[in-house]
Amino acid sequence: MINDAGLVWAVVAVTFAAMVAGRFIVRRFRTHWRPIPAYQILPTLAADAVESAKRVHFSLGSSAIGETSTLAALVSAEVVYRLAERLAISRQLPLITLSHPVTLPLAQDTLRRAYLYRRTLDYYRSSASAWYPPGTAFAVGAASLSADIDADSNILLGRFGPELAFLGESALRHNQALIAHSDLLEGQAIAFAQAGEVLLGEELYAGPAYLGGTALERGSVLAQDVLRWLVILGIVLAALQTI
Amino acid sequence: MGSHRLIRLLSSVLVISLGLTTLVGLSTAEGTPPADFAAFVLSLVMVIAAVAVFVGVINLLAVHLGRVRRAERGWPYSLLAVIVALGVIALRIADRAELWSGDLEGEQLSERAFEAVQVSLESALAGLVLFFLVYAAYRLMRRRVTVWSLVFTGALLLALIGWIPLDGAEVLADARAWFIRVTVGGGARGILIGVGLGTVAAGVRVLTGQDRSIRG
Repeated sequence: MINDAGLVWAVVAVTFAAMVAGRFIVRRFRTHWRPIPAYQILPTLAADAVESAKRVHFSLGSSAIGETSTLAALVSAEVVYRLAERLAISRQLPLITLSHPVTLPLAQDTLRRAYLYRRTLDYYRSSASAWYPPGTAFAVGAASLSADIDADSNILLGRFGPELAFLGESALRHNQALIAHSDLLEGQAIAFAQAGEVLLGEELYAGPAYLGGTALERGSVLAQDVLRWLVILGIVLAALQTI
Repeated sequence: MGSHRLIRLLSSVLVISLGLTTLVGLSTAEGTPPADFAAFVLSLVMVIAAVAVFVGVINLLAVHLGRVRRAERGWPYSLLAVIVALGVIALRIADRAELWSGDLEGEQLSERAFEAVQVSLESALAGLVLFFLVYAAYRLMRRRVTVWSLVFTGALLLALIGWIPLDGAEVLADARAWFIRVTVGGGARGILIGVGLGTVAAGVRVLTGQDRSIRG
């Protein structure tokens, strides 16, 4: 049961209104986006992997459908889909590792849809998505699998704790590119230190918009900015009241 | 393609209706029909999660057996993973069936194996995280010296040195405490608020059926 139900509905309504307004703005006007280096590099990494006939390792960590990381899992899967679409012309299937079994069908379906879109469903195998038990076992298992397939790059999106350090260390030791994000602070700190490019906090949720998204997805980035400014305004007003 | 469109439509309708009714249910008082429905949906998710563990184990076995069959690089480790997984499952079944006799009677060997192997290995590996982080900070400085990498390394050094209980270096401990309370606390809240805002925007996208991952 939600305690502040009115507030929740107000936030949903404001976000929806901002998103629709954002959609209108991006359709009618030329908008400039803050460059996020990770999203500039990701398409290049996908192209490199196709050219060198190597595989790409995606990991969704412990992002889970049905838990607080549901949306991180969905958005991460959408980013994976945008890149898998580019990789699906190659016989070298991307690898997706994860540690929450409910996310397994999402990962498998993400790859299947990408290969279906490219009409290369013959290349697709459901075993390209691999589950490992959560925690260090996941990190060690996923890192060794990524090393064994000689992945070109490791793209870690979603929810990771300190176990991200093992994945990162293994990627760096095997000269694999590393792009990382976590919605947990511990994982985010490690990602900042280890990754070649890092996605910070909410930047993950802007992924679909940055990777050739629809007008509504781009509008939702504007909505995120509107909400951010509302929160900043709220914090400043609350601080002023206490003076 | 017609059936594909129908599936997309059905999954969108299902997600929007279930999402909205669950949100309404969570916003209403307990005991009301919408709240009961939301509780039912959430308990259904719990059951699916429990079943999904079984699916996960099947996937783990399938992935590693496939690697062994194709003799891919590192296949002996995959074989070991399969043998250990099957061994642990057999132990668990034996525990539940109370098959042990003699000195082992009443013992839970699967739990013992878990504690002896998994817990100790995880603890040992967790100890390495600190070294990975320090080495990552060194590598960060070697790769690119920016303001933010300097801030990161400075913060790491302050946190590590301030933690050492040295005589006469209380000022460092105080600086560390202030740093963690004010700077780290502020930064952490900033990141979490950002994640929250992103979650809200993505959530509304899902609730309005605009997220492609749910369209089948």
